[in-house]
Amino acid sequence: MMNAASDQTAGFGKFRWALSIAIGLFATLMCAPSFALPLFARQTGQNCVACHAGGQFPELTPYGRLFKLTGYTIGERTIPLSAMGLISSSKVANTSKSDDPGSDFQKNGQPIFATGSVFLGGKVTDNIGAFAQVTFDPYATQSPDGRFHGHSNADNIDLRYADRFINANRDLIVGLSLNNNPSVSDPWNTAAAWMQYVPVPSPTSSRFIDGSAPYPGYAAGGNIAGLSAYAFWNRTVYAELGAYGSSRGALSFMHAGLAPGDLAKLKGLNPYWRLAWNHEWGPHSLMVGTSGMSAKIYDDPTDTSDSATIHHTRDIGLDAQYQYLLDPHSVTAQVAYMHSRHRYPDFLAGQGAAFVDALGNGLPDTNAQDTTNTFRAKLTYVYQAKYGGSVGFFNLTGSTNTANQSSGYSPDTLTITSDGSVQAPSQRVGGNLTGNPATRGFTLEAFWTPIQYVRIGAQYTGYSRYNGASENYDGFGRNARDNNSLFLYVWAAY
Amino acid sequence: MKHSHLILALLAAGLLAGCADLTRSRDLANPKVSAVTLAQQVCSNCHGITGISVSPNFPNLAAQTPEYFAAQLKEFKSHGRQDPAGFEYMWGLSRSFTDEQIAGLAAYYAAQKPESGPARGDAVRAAAGDKIFHEGLPDKNVPACMVCHGDKGQGNQAFPRIAGQHSDYVVKQLLVFQRTDERPEGAIMKTVAHELTANDISNVAEYVQSLRTP
Repeated sequence: MMNAASDQTAGFGKFRWALSIAIGLFATLMCAPSFALPLFARQTGQNCVACHAGGQFPELTPYGRLFKLTGYTIGERTIPLSAMGLISSSKVANTSKSDDPGSDFQKNGQPIFATGSVFLGGKVTDNIGAFAQVTFDPYATQSPDGRFHGHSNADNIDLRYADRFINANRDLIVGLSLNNNPSVSDPWNTAAAWMQYVPVPSPTSSRFIDGSAPYPGYAAGGNIAGLSAYAFWNRTVYAELGAYGSSRGALSFMHAGLAPGDLAKLKGLNPYWRLAWNHEWGPHSLMVGTSGMSAKIYDDPTDTSDSATIHHTRDIGLDAQYQYLLDPHSVTAQVAYMHSRHRYPDFLAGQGAAFVDALGNGLPDTNAQDTTNTFRAKLTYVYQAKYGGSVGFFNLTGSTNTANQSSGYSPDTLTITSDGSVQAPSQRVGGNLTGNPATRGFTLEAFWTPIQYVRIGAQYTGYSRYNGASENYDGFGRNARDNNSLFLYVWAAY
Repeated sequence: MKHSHLILALLAAGLLAGCADLTRSRDLANPKVSAVTLAQQVCSNCHGITGISVSPNFPNLAAQTPEYFAAQLKEFKSHGRQDPAGFEYMWGLSRSFTDEQIAGLAAYYAAQKPESGPARGDAVRAAAGDKIFHEGLPDKNVPACMVCHGDKGQGNQAFPRIAGQHSDYVVKQLLVFQRTDERPEGAIMKTVAHELTANDISNVAEYVQSLRTP
């Protein structure tokens, strides 16, 4: 543990150093005339709107998808560095139903410097390019005196090799992606890694904003290491096949800065697949696709000695994206669905529940496996790549499992209490009384992009169901709508 | 450990292989990359492999006159052409092109077959546009388009081919000429388009798009 801890410190130190340089460079560049651009734009010399639909990040245009699939190699080599920062404020509708609002809703309603990222990437050779993000979270940890401490870690990383065989009769793009997050290699914005487009601040006042609402995703998570091979044929059929494992050895940089307990540790190689049909006509483009992953994940990432502690997950997704892009209008419609099955290791399945019912009777034993279904839809309109708005809907449903319960009647007192001295204390605000994960709601957003590197937005996320119930979901009288949140942000990239 | 080494070895092999083939390069700053390679690997993304673009955001380039084509690329490169479509997409792409690459691209697109499919668009508008194209609007001193662009819109040296062009692109460019000075090389069009109403512009663009000129 000593070694692991000092490794972490060293990794952190390295990123702080990189971050300092990046911030210095950022400050210097800010003084330069406004024709200087983030790294990909500098590389191609094009405006952000060439690759990003209506200038929204990270959603790609048909050209942006080809730029990515050809390995970020179009253009000329340039300073391979960009920076992104987010200032935001989250306000939760009801903060009264809490024992400790200061902790349950940290920084509620206060403007904060939420996150910052440094990107390193761009064209390396005619066939190799990179996209690597390091993200700094100023609120990563909090010491007992209440002070927050920042931390940097590896975020999305995608290193590519690509080639394109094209003539008047055929167009075949083939490539390899070495990455740390299943589907980060995907060029469509309905892919699990990309549908969520605003960074999510970590203070707990942001726990209910859109970025924290349910998104279809792969259970294996990020910060693992995978190699995938892909092909895009005649801009019509896209296929990708990959294998993911724990990021270790020479690939440890894929999880740099993350504590050993926060990693996903996988057993062996775990398959990821993606198949999509794409069609472009006039200003329209449509993609309909499917993807999936099967993974074997150790229960405790710090102890991979026993294969009896493995969780088996299988995720199968369906997604579709329609874009209408004709200056000055950008319209995007997205839907994504993920069906996930999670089989627990034996030592976690069929266990007695910690809580009892109101009469003191035992609850059902924990499940051997669970299924969840996550659905997400979003409609966006942007005018002149400046003024935009979106409407989103999310719905998570799944099997009920007493293992999901974090609130309930304590066997010794037959009360629901957050008092830590009882046998089974319950959790306020984040608690789950039903054991069901169901969460449903909507997001409305309006944003303004005054210049292409700055976006100012307001987001409102409303809940009709949270942790399995509309009302009293935590056992302390908190209702789903109490979590409705307003999120204001200023986002900038350079 | 083993897997990661294998992956790195594969990438290293890829890196070496990647240094080799200029015929599939997407490097916009290497004068050794041929015009045909640039057209295939880069320009085709928006303008289509044969110069017929899918999205009306991007003009068709097939059978464009080489004189006009080369002049536009030079205007993009020198930032002389400043319309949004020009600077957002084309300034950067063209910034390091050599005269030889520009001439090669002009020849590549001039040799492509223009659109030959069924004519698209609004027939009523196209009929009204037909009249402007062939006769102009004499009472407003708007000359007939065919005088410079050819009787079938096929273009003539510095006067571009407009037959089969996307109507949306034609409308936007006519508005650029009429309302701005963002295309100084086309200043003559400012006078020509000055008296056109929004309706006239839509009509003539619709007609031009419907033209099927070999």
